[in-house]
Amino acid sequence: MRIGIVCPYSFDVPGGVQNHVMDLAEALISLGHEVSVLAPADEDSPLPAYVVSAGRAVPLPYNGSVARIAFGPVSTARVRRWLTNGDFDVLHVHEPLTLSLSLLAVLSARGPVVATFHTAMTRSRVLAAAQGVLQIVLERITARIAVSALARKVQVEHMDGGAVEIPNGVAVAKFADAEPLPGWPGECVPGTGGTLGFLGRFTEARKGFPVLRDAFVALAATRPGLRLLVAGPGDPDDLYDQFPTDLHERVTFLGLVTEPDKARMLRSVHLYVAPNTGGESFGMILTEALAAGTTVVASDLDAFRRVLDGGRAGRLFPTGDPVGLRDALAELLDDPAGRTALTACGDQVVANFDWPVVARRVLEVYAAAIEATDGRVIDQEWVGLG
Amino acid sequence: MPHMWWVVAASVVVGLVAAYLIWTAGRVERLQGRAELAARALDAHLLRRAAAAAVLAERRFGVELYAASRIALDASPDEREAAENDLTRQLRSVRLDPGDPDCGAVIAASRRLALSRQVHTDLVRDARSARSRPLVRLLRMGRGREWPRYFDIDDPTLAVPADVPAN
Repeated sequence: MRIGIVCPYSFDVPGGVQNHVMDLAEALISLGHEVSVLAPADEDSPLPAYVVSAGRAVPLPYNGSVARIAFGPVSTARVRRWLTNGDFDVLHVHEPLTLSLSLLAVLSARGPVVATFHTAMTRSRVLAAAQGVLQIVLERITARIAVSALARKVQVEHMDGGAVEIPNGVAVAKFADAEPLPGWPGECVPGTGGTLGFLGRFTEARKGFPVLRDAFVALAATRPGLRLLVAGPGDPDDLYDQFPTDLHERVTFLGLVTEPDKARMLRSVHLYVAPNTGGESFGMILTEALAAGTTVVASDLDAFRRVLDGGRAGRLFPTGDPVGLRDALAELLDDPAGRTALTACGDQVVANFDWPVVARRVLEVYAAAIEATDGRVIDQEWVGLG
Repeated sequence: MPHMWWVVAASVVVGLVAAYLIWTAGRVERLQGRAELAARALDAHLLRRAAAAAVLAERRFGVELYAASRIALDASPDEREAAENDLTRQLRSVRLDPGDPDCGAVIAASRRLALSRQVHTDLVRDARSARSRPLVRLLRMGRGREWPRYFDIDDPTLAVPADVPAN
């Protein structure tokens, strides 16, 4: 099958949607399909062979953070040319309601269009002003995919339509085979040692870093050798200022890490902690930690409970409670058998999120969209492994 | 010559209204056509599931499942939704083994049916909302075609399999 995928955000900056698009494209290619990805990117940035650049993206504050997008007459012309040259069986756009290439592609395309909604935002502020415009965009979409139950709920309640829930995939092998960073995770025996990991914006309130900090500071006082490995964007001073001076040598900050380094970082800790206090619609990082074979300790959010199979694949603690987190950490660091039991269950859970499995479900949605557009019912074989 | 401007303004307005009407008519036609194609695809998937269930019933599970699938295959349009729901209930009441090829075919057909139903419902909703606009009703756009109908059945998805079996 010839598949055209549009990514609204620039590949020059790492991000959840960009990673999703690349992993999906690679999984579809490995299943024998022809895939072309259209995305904004600087002219000279190295891109995988299947990516077509739609030109430079401009930074634009959007939905609480800065998104780099491409929009305007030049981008429109490029989208049109790409659609004509591609001659795709199906067009798959991501986040079509942002002002972006995805929106342009939806408006320019004829034929089957599949759209994936990633965020659980209710709707873009720009489009909220124009319900009619929103309707015109949605009408062009044949089938909708939501990556989480929350994103799906928004679809049903606010956009007057259903969506098929297909979770984010995770490239299990990339994480499982990653080499830990040299010197990590170190020893972890009852009473001493052990390494905790945190990945994300530690300055952002909903990521809940202060909960982990409080738990770490309390536990470090009674547990010699306990270390904390932090990765993510931010200023080192802002991080270290949060800790008493005598603990600084036990906190290591990696800064913003690349995808391969993220996998290595997850393999370098005994316990991965997700202390988020809300706003997570899926919990991608948890599936990645599970794929890396690392034990996960996460706050008891709906999305996390779902991924962790109600607590069988990872320990849940009361959201926002540093004492609860400290107790959970202390218990698991002293209990290697308990950690092994959790990761064994984690392996089973994460198999459902492996990209080839997820990509096959996406292919079925493509088939449904194609059928609804030309009335021809497609054989399973044709959609299958090709 | 101030009246010249009135003529120009009036023709611009008439032109815009005409463009809007043509665009709206095209939109109604497109949405209506899409809903009809989705209905054809849904029909085909309903037949596929019933046929797969009949094949399975001949080998295992016996008369009741076979009867339900025959009734679903032969149902008249009025009775079809109820017949399909009966078939879903029958399929849920038996233990389907995903490893068995005939069971696997029924599970896969049900999953595809669920997708097809989802898409059909969305497209019918779009078409109905376009046709129920006051202007569209007033000018009787799309009158040559039937009102798109929802196909109201329970979610036919059977047990959620860990993996999509590669057929």
